[in-house]
Amino acid sequence: MSGTGTPETAATPRGVRSDRAAGIVIVLVALLVGWENRAYPIGHLAEPGPGYMPLLIAGALGVFGLLIALRAGTSPLFNTIDWSESRRGIVLLIACGVAVFALERIGYRLTMIALLVFVLGVVERKRPLPALLVAFGFAFVSYYLFATVLNVQLPRGPWGL
Amino acid sequence: MDGVLGNLMLGFSVALQPSILAYAFAGCVIGTLVGMLPGLGPLAGISLLLPATFGLNPIIAIVLLAGVYYGAMYGGSTTSILMRIPGEAASVMTCIDGYAMTQRGRAGPALAIAAIGSFVAGTLSVVALMFLAPTLASFALRFGPPEYTALLLMGFLVLSYMSGGSMLKTLAMAAAGLLFGMIGIDAMSGYTRFSYGFIELADGIGIVPVAVGLFGLSEILLTAGQTTPPAIQRPTLRQLIPSLEEMKLSIGPISRGSLLGFMIGIIPGSAHIISSFVSYGIERRMSKHPERFGNGAIEGVAGPESANNAAATGAFVPMLALGIPTGPVTAVMLAAIMVHGISPGPMLITQQPELFWGFVASMYVGNVVLLILNLPLVGLFVNLLRIPYSYLYPAILCFCILGVYSVSNSVMDVWIMLGMGAFGYLLRKTGFEPAPIALGLILSPMLELSVRQSLAMSGGSYGIFFDRPIAIAMFAVAGVLILLALKPLVFKKKDWREQVGLEKRA
Repeated sequence: MSGTGTPETAATPRGVRSDRAAGIVIVLVALLVGWENRAYPIGHLAEPGPGYMPLLIAGALGVFGLLIALRAGTSPLFNTIDWSESRRGIVLLIACGVAVFALERIGYRLTMIALLVFVLGVVERKRPLPALLVAFGFAFVSYYLFATVLNVQLPRGPWGL
Repeated sequence: MDGVLGNLMLGFSVALQPSILAYAFAGCVIGTLVGMLPGLGPLAGISLLLPATFGLNPIIAIVLLAGVYYGAMYGGSTTSILMRIPGEAASVMTCIDGYAMTQRGRAGPALAIAAIGSFVAGTLSVVALMFLAPTLASFALRFGPPEYTALLLMGFLVLSYMSGGSMLKTLAMAAAGLLFGMIGIDAMSGYTRFSYGFIELADGIGIVPVAVGLFGLSEILLTAGQTTPPAIQRPTLRQLIPSLEEMKLSIGPISRGSLLGFMIGIIPGSAHIISSFVSYGIERRMSKHPERFGNGAIEGVAGPESANNAAATGAFVPMLALGIPTGPVTAVMLAAIMVHGISPGPMLITQQPELFWGFVASMYVGNVVLLILNLPLVGLFVNLLRIPYSYLYPAILCFCILGVYSVSNSVMDVWIMLGMGAFGYLLRKTGFEPAPIALGLILSPMLELSVRQSLAMSGGSYGIFFDRPIAIAMFAVAGVLILLALKPLVFKKKDWREQVGLEKRA
C-alpha cells in the first residue's frame, strides 16, 4: 500500500471480517438451539435427560463461535468475497426446489425432463434440440437403469410416466 | 499367522466368485469415472450409488462401494496430471508436479508412477489392514461407554488438529454436525427433538442427503458456469513407461507415502486429503533438490498419490474393527452394511468372517483391476472430459436428486439436500470445511449414548472418564493435541500445516 504513495488510512479496506460475521452467526445459532431446547428435560447428572446433550453441544458451539469472532483479524473482509456465481446458484436451487415439489406429483421422468430443459435451455442457453435430446435421454435412460434394472422405487406421474 | 492366511483364503474364495468380481470391476470403473469428473467426489459417488445396493447382498454392496472409493482415488489423479483439474480434493497436490510433467511432455510417466504408487500403497495397506483390524477389534471388546466417549472426543480433536484450516472452525462445524445428529427421537427417553412437527424428521437426518448436499450440490453451485476445460493429452502405452531414473526417484516417496497414508487414514478426518498434503511437504523437505518441486518432480506425484490411496484403505480399519467411521465416506459405507441388518463393531470380524475377509480379498482384486484400468485405458477414460461441463453438471444435479430421493423415497430428504447444498456453498465461500459436519452427524448418537450411559454408570460423576486407563490414555492424547495447537500461538512459530503448505489457521 505504502508503495503506491496512498496514505495508509485511506487505503485500508473497511467492513466486517468474514470470520467475525460467521462467528456471530454461530453464536446466534447456539443461542437459538439453547432456547428451543427448553422444551426438553435436562434431567440431572446421574440421569441426563433428552435436553442435556443438545444444551452441552450448543454451549460448546457458542464458545467456538465467540472465539472465531474474536480471532477474525486475518480473515478476508466479507464484502471482498467473490459472489459472482451466486446468482446462477440461486436460480439452480429454485429450479431444484420446484422439481422436488413436482417429483411425486408429475413423476420422475417428467420432472427430470422439465428440470433439464430449464437448466440447459434457460440457464445455459443451449440450442433447443440438444437440450431436449439430453433431457429426454437422461430421464428415460436413468429411469430404466434405476427403476427397471436396479429395482429402485421412483415416482410415476400421469399416463404412467 | 496361519489363522490370518486361512481367513484370507476364505476371503479369496468369496472375492473370486464371478458375481463379486464383476461388481468389484463395476465399482472400480464407476469410481474411476467419478474421480475424474469435477463436482463428483468419492463421497457423492458412493452416496448416489447407495440406493442401488439395497437389493444386493451385503458383501457385494460393500465390495461395490469400496471399489468406487478407491477407484475415485485413482481417477482423480488422471485429470490432475493431464488437465490440472483435481477430480477430487485429494488430488490437488498431484496437480502441481503432475501437470508440470505433462507440460514437459512427461504425462505418460507421471500417470504410470501415479498408478504404480497407488497400486503399491493400496496393496501394502490391505496387508496392514488384514493384521491390524482383527487385533484392534479384540482390543475394543474392553471398551465401555467411557472409553467410547474418550475415543470419540479424541477423534474430534485429532480431526480438528489435522485438518487444513482453523482448528476452531473445524470444532464448530463438528459441533454443528453433532446438533444435526440430535434431531429426531432420543433413543434413551423416546422424546422427539427439534422435528417441528415434521414426521419425516422423527427418524433423524440421514447421512446421504447431508453428504450429497454439502459435497455434491455445493460443488455444482460453486462451479456451474465455468468455461470449457482445456485440450486433453492422451499418452500412448509406449509413452507411459517411466525412465530408470524416474523409477529410482519414486521408490522412496511411494514407500513413505504408503506408511504415512495408512497411519493418517486410521485417524478421523478427511484423511486421504490430509495425507497427500503431508506427503508432498515431507518429500519436498527430504529432497536434495527441493527447487525441482513445482516444476515437474516425479516425487511430487509418487508421494501424494501413494499416500491418498493408503489413507483410503487405512480408513477401513476403525470402520471394520470398531464400527466407527473416520469420515463421511466410511459413514455411508457403514450405512450400506447396516441396511442389511449387520451391526458393525468389534464382533463383525468373528460373526461375519465372510464379509470381512471377502472384503479384504476384494481389495487386493480391486487394486489389480485399477492398475489394469488406469494404464492402458487412460486414453479411453479421458474422453469423458470432452463433454462440456454445461451439459455435465445438470446431469449430476439430476443424479443428486435421484440418488437422495431413492434412499428412502422421501421428498423431505431432497429438501434437506437442497438446504445442505446452500449451506455447504456458504461454508466454502467463507472458509469453513463441511466434512466435520457429516462426521458429527454420524457420530452424534454414539457420543450422546456413551456420555449419558457413562454418567448413569457413575451416578453423575465426570470422574468416571479419568478412572479407566484406556480412557485416560485417550484424553492424554487429546490434551497433547490441544497443547500442540496452542504452541504456535505462544511461541509464534509456524505449525506443521503451514510448513507442508496447507492453509494457515485463523
